[in-house]
Amino acid sequence: MFVTDRSAMNEPRVSRFSVAERVIHWLVALSFLYVALTGLAIWSPRLYWLAAVFGGGFTVRAWHPWAGLLFVVFFTAMFRNWRRQMRLDRDDRRWLRLSHRYAVHDFAGLPEAGRFNAGQKSLFWMQAIFGLLLIASGIVIWWPAVMPRLLREIAVLIHPTAAVISIGGIILHIYMGTAAVPGSFRGMIQGWVTPGWAASHHPKWYREHVGSTGTTRSPSR
Amino acid sequence: MTNGWTDVANADVVLVMGGNPAENHPVGFRFVMEAKRVRKAKLVTIDPRFNRTAAVSDIYVPIRAGTDIAFLGGLIHYAITHDLYQHEYVKLHTNASFLIREGFSFEDGFFSGWDENKKAYDKSSWNYELDAAGYAKVDPAMEHPRSVFQLMKHHYSRYTPEMVASICGCSAADFEKAAAIICSTGKPDRQGTVLYALGWTQHSHSVQLIHTAAMLQLMLGNIGMPGGGVNAQRGHSNIQGATDMGAWNMLPGYLRLPRANQQTLADYLKETTPRALRPDSMNYWSNTPKFVVSLLKAYYGDKATKQNNFAYDFLPKLGEADNYSWGYLFDHMYAGQIEGMISFGMNPVANGPNTPKMLAALSKLKWLIVAECFETETASFWKARELAEKYYSTALDSSGINTEVFLLPAACFAEKDGAFVNSSRWAQWKNVAVEPPGQAWRDQDIIARLFLKIRELYEKEGGKAPEPLLNMAWTWQNPASPSLSEVSREINGRDAAGKQLASFAALADDGSTACGNWVYTGSFTEAGNMMARRGQEDPTGLGLYPNWAWNWPANRRILYNRASADATGKPWDASRAPLRWTGTNWTGDVADYKADAAPGDFGAFIMLPEGVAKLYASDFVEGPFPEHYEPVESPVENILHPKVSSNPLAKIFRTDRDPIGSAAEFPYIGTTYRLTEHFHYWTKNIAGTSELQPHFFVEVPEALAKTKNIRSGDMVRVRSARGAVEGRAMVTKRMRGLQVSGKTVYQIGLPIHWGFIGRVTGPLVNNLSPSVVDPNSGTPEYKGFLVNIEKI
Amino acid sequence: MIEAFIKAISATPGKPAGVSRRTDTVAKMIDTTTCIGCKACEVACQEWNNQQVTFGNFEGTYQTMPDLAHNFWNLIKFNETESEIGTPLWLMSKYQCMHCVDPGCLKACPAPGAIVQYTNGIVDFNHDACIGCGYCMTGCPFDVPKMNPATNKVHKCTLCTDRVSVGLEPACIKACPTNCLSFGTREDLIRKAEDRVSTLQSDGFRNAGIYNPPGVGGTHVVYVLAHADQPEAYGLPKDPHIPWTVALWKGPLKWIGNVLLIGGILGTFFHYVRYGPQRDE
Repeated sequence: MFVTDRSAMNEPRVSRFSVAERVIHWLVALSFLYVALTGLAIWSPRLYWLAAVFGGGFTVRAWHPWAGLLFVVFFTAMFRNWRRQMRLDRDDRRWLRLSHRYAVHDFAGLPEAGRFNAGQKSLFWMQAIFGLLLIASGIVIWWPAVMPRLLREIAVLIHPTAAVISIGGIILHIYMGTAAVPGSFRGMIQGWVTPGWAASHHPKWYREHVGSTGTTRSPSR
Repeated sequence: MTNGWTDVANADVVLVMGGNPAENHPVGFRFVMEAKRVRKAKLVTIDPRFNRTAAVSDIYVPIRAGTDIAFLGGLIHYAITHDLYQHEYVKLHTNASFLIREGFSFEDGFFSGWDENKKAYDKSSWNYELDAAGYAKVDPAMEHPRSVFQLMKHHYSRYTPEMVASICGCSAADFEKAAAIICSTGKPDRQGTVLYALGWTQHSHSVQLIHTAAMLQLMLGNIGMPGGGVNAQRGHSNIQGATDMGAWNMLPGYLRLPRANQQTLADYLKETTPRALRPDSMNYWSNTPKFVVSLLKAYYGDKATKQNNFAYDFLPKLGEADNYSWGYLFDHMYAGQIEGMISFGMNPVANGPNTPKMLAALSKLKWLIVAECFETETASFWKARELAEKYYSTALDSSGINTEVFLLPAACFAEKDGAFVNSSRWAQWKNVAVEPPGQAWRDQDIIARLFLKIRELYEKEGGKAPEPLLNMAWTWQNPASPSLSEVSREINGRDAAGKQLASFAALADDGSTACGNWVYTGSFTEAGNMMARRGQEDPTGLGLYPNWAWNWPANRRILYNRASADATGKPWDASRAPLRWTGTNWTGDVADYKADAAPGDFGAFIMLPEGVAKLYASDFVEGPFPEHYEPVESPVENILHPKVSSNPLAKIFRTDRDPIGSAAEFPYIGTTYRLTEHFHYWTKNIAGTSELQPHFFVEVPEALAKTKNIRSGDMVRVRSARGAVEGRAMVTKRMRGLQVSGKTVYQIGLPIHWGFIGRVTGPLVNNLSPSVVDPNSGTPEYKGFLVNIEKI
Repeated sequence: MIEAFIKAISATPGKPAGVSRRTDTVAKMIDTTTCIGCKACEVACQEWNNQQVTFGNFEGTYQTMPDLAHNFWNLIKFNETESEIGTPLWLMSKYQCMHCVDPGCLKACPAPGAIVQYTNGIVDFNHDACIGCGYCMTGCPFDVPKMNPATNKVHKCTLCTDRVSVGLEPACIKACPTNCLSFGTREDLIRKAEDRVSTLQSDGFRNAGIYNPPGVGGTHVVYVLAHADQPEAYGLPKDPHIPWTVALWKGPLKWIGNVLLIGGILGTFFHYVRYGPQRDE
């Protein structure tokens, strides 16, 4: 990729996510959004109005588990793509320990991020783990007539707990991906970022790929 | 029932034996529960199975099927040895004090008078010793060695608790525990009732069995008492009414069918009208001529005149050896002696014993008419082989059967009016709920049209002895469809002026009255249809409900109620007195006595020539005292008299299709019964009831199942010498091995209700049962026969 | 006749209108000592509710089916055991919705109005609002509600609310031949049950007692048991509670979750307000 197609916008571009990555990400995101919103409808009577938005309670209840299965399928694809890049290294662990500084924009002394920073990586693993919990408990809840009572009793606790944490993570993720770090969203929509963005937020990645190759191939691997 | 369902609530002890009312009479059983709840009555259940009734019983004692006489005889023995019987009652109201002729004996299983060649008794040695006036001699002290009491005491002295235990297979301790409770009702102020059903009537010694129960109840002073009695629970909604209206040897109202030697009305009346055996005996059957003549007037109307002996000649006569009870009928049919059969409201293939023989018998008919609301196994007997090859491989298939079968769609009970007579002898009128569907006709319409057509054919074409048909009074407004009210009015009876009679006391033997069944006189009077009454008043507080429907005879709720009081008319139990003598008449229930006769005028049992109840009764063919005989098929010998093991008079049919099994080949006892969920062979056609119990099953004791490696749900085959059934095993703790004379005996439970036609199907358990019948009643021995069981 | 207003509605915050009046509550009493297992109540229930008939498999027992079903709301359990001295015991008890004072089904239900508790104590399902999630099946400690797989709606005994609301007794009560079942106000029936228990105790059933489990606030179906020390022998749970996970999920967890989610949204918003976007260097 790296870089440097000035033709369209007349500014340097760094290719951040391939088309496949973006499609998968957004499939994951949309299915998550659906299960989250329909789940929230069932979670709280005060959000039951959401059920109406999605076709009524009966439809929502019927589709929610299927959408959940889709989410798992898409997430699995995303997981296969990114699981190696998402490994946390020593820098990442140090980053996490100093993440409170990151939160208050005090970046001095923070280890440099690669293609994904430790926050993103953590989110990835967190979503993977909670996704697993959600699908396991979800299947138990899906078939109440055949599932043993003990499993159902555990599942009704795990499912909403995992969902709340997962949704919480995604709220943060959306904030980070949009308002908090301008330019990120375009990276996931159009697939490119500016060299400045790349250098500021993912300097290690920027350096490694631009520095070493100077080409415009995808840095994603 | 001598008493009635509502009266059971008055009992202190309820003995359930030979029945399972919780299972088969759950609605009537409410009064048992009421007695338990309100009076703290004790419920004692004696049964081969720990059944639904046992589940709510205070005491349950297991018993081997067919040994009830031993148990009851043991109770009589127990009551005598523990002095728990009601002395005054026994002395006053039974024939305990009567003397029996010299020469009466019982030895080695036989009473005196056994004729080995005829295989029958000469009963002359069983008679009472009579005085010069022809009355029975009595010893009021009951100490004479030939008094009934002493003979009875001697007869049952063999029935010790230990003997009962080794015959019945229960423990002597359990027997004594039950005996103590049952015999506690020998006190005048404690009453015990006996509830029984087909577990008593379906043995080769069933009539004697019920005789034993009556003896026990008389000894305990429980007959005629509220909360007492010997109470048969009838198994069909109107089987009591059917019995009252006649059977194979009975005309309506328990009048005997004439025999061939009774060629004139005078002969017949002479032989059938009993003579009083005591000076104070009212001997109500001395009115037999009035009942018979009135019946003939109802049958033949104006054609029955004094000159022609009221058309007595038109009545069929039984030959000396003739017997048209169930087993004989089908035996004759199997022998090819019967041309055709009309079957209404019954399913003989399913409910008769030895189904394979039943099928073979029906295939010998020229024609068979079945009027039913469902297709039944009888109507489709010719399909048996096709539908159930594994059970009927030796049956003819339809191509070999020439019987022409007509299945007439008939209305079911809710589509007809008329009366049901329940166990309590209540005739309860019912209305039509819905019209019969499609082409279904009501029974009376079918019968009437058959009658009219047959009469027409006789008129046109002539025939042998057409007179009974041609002269029959057929006076219905619509001859093709008599209304049941009209029929009921005729059953009640009317006088010469055409007025409905109020009581059978008004019947006459001069032809001025006509009455279809004297025991029903009073059911449909000038005041209207008494059977349709629904008054809920209970003036005595004893649950007699005199204004509810109508209770035969004479709206009497408790039979023999005069026996509830002593010689002076003082009730034995003032808290439960159905009758009170005011000094001029009896109040309370309708007295089973002359309403204004003083207490001392007559004996309390007005229907009997003795004037008192019979502990000793020479009426039955196999002896004046009941004796324990083994079922015809039994795994053990009779330890009382091994040479005469089973009832010597039991009728065992002996065709090629009537094999009897041996204990070596068939070591277990099979017994059949009904379930709450179903009614007979009907409800297998009904989804709602079939849902509750869709599958035939076999109840197998846990210990036996273990030795045969049978688990609940396994398919098993049960075989007898006659046939087989296959079904799922229900392995249960509720049936156990019984220790019978040192040997472990197992019983196997076989619910009826299934067949090869219906919404749900299964085997007919009567594939297994034997063609063996009681010699008095003709009832088959469905309870207790030999089988084997195997896992398949 | 006992008037019925709505007392509680599933998944609906706040108090339903019209509950200021206190009304008597109804109940069913099942005196198991007089139950003969005749199944009249089963038939009456099936007929009154016009249920579709199904033929089950043979299960080696007199019991109609192993458990309640979406089209079978009233089941007599036949429990075959032995007494301490080894004699057979055949304990029969009618099983159906217990109409808990604190109904676990209603607590677990996420669909507003799908489960309703009336002031007379009847807990009823409203199938128009039911979304078929089956949470009620988990919330119920008695395993009563059953889902119809064809329609995904959950069904159970209504205590014949349709009959009760017009002054009739439930169908099962009407059909019972032995007076094992009675219907009336809960207060009266508990008194009746106490009387029956004292009779049983004086008859030698030392452990006779009432089954009216406090873990669910009591029930509107009250049993008299001869062996109340072992309700399991009758197929009744020993000490039923709404599962703690359900209670936690529908109680504290819901508030914690809501706080977390709303806090998350507000948190990010105020974070932006305070710190603004991260600039590229």
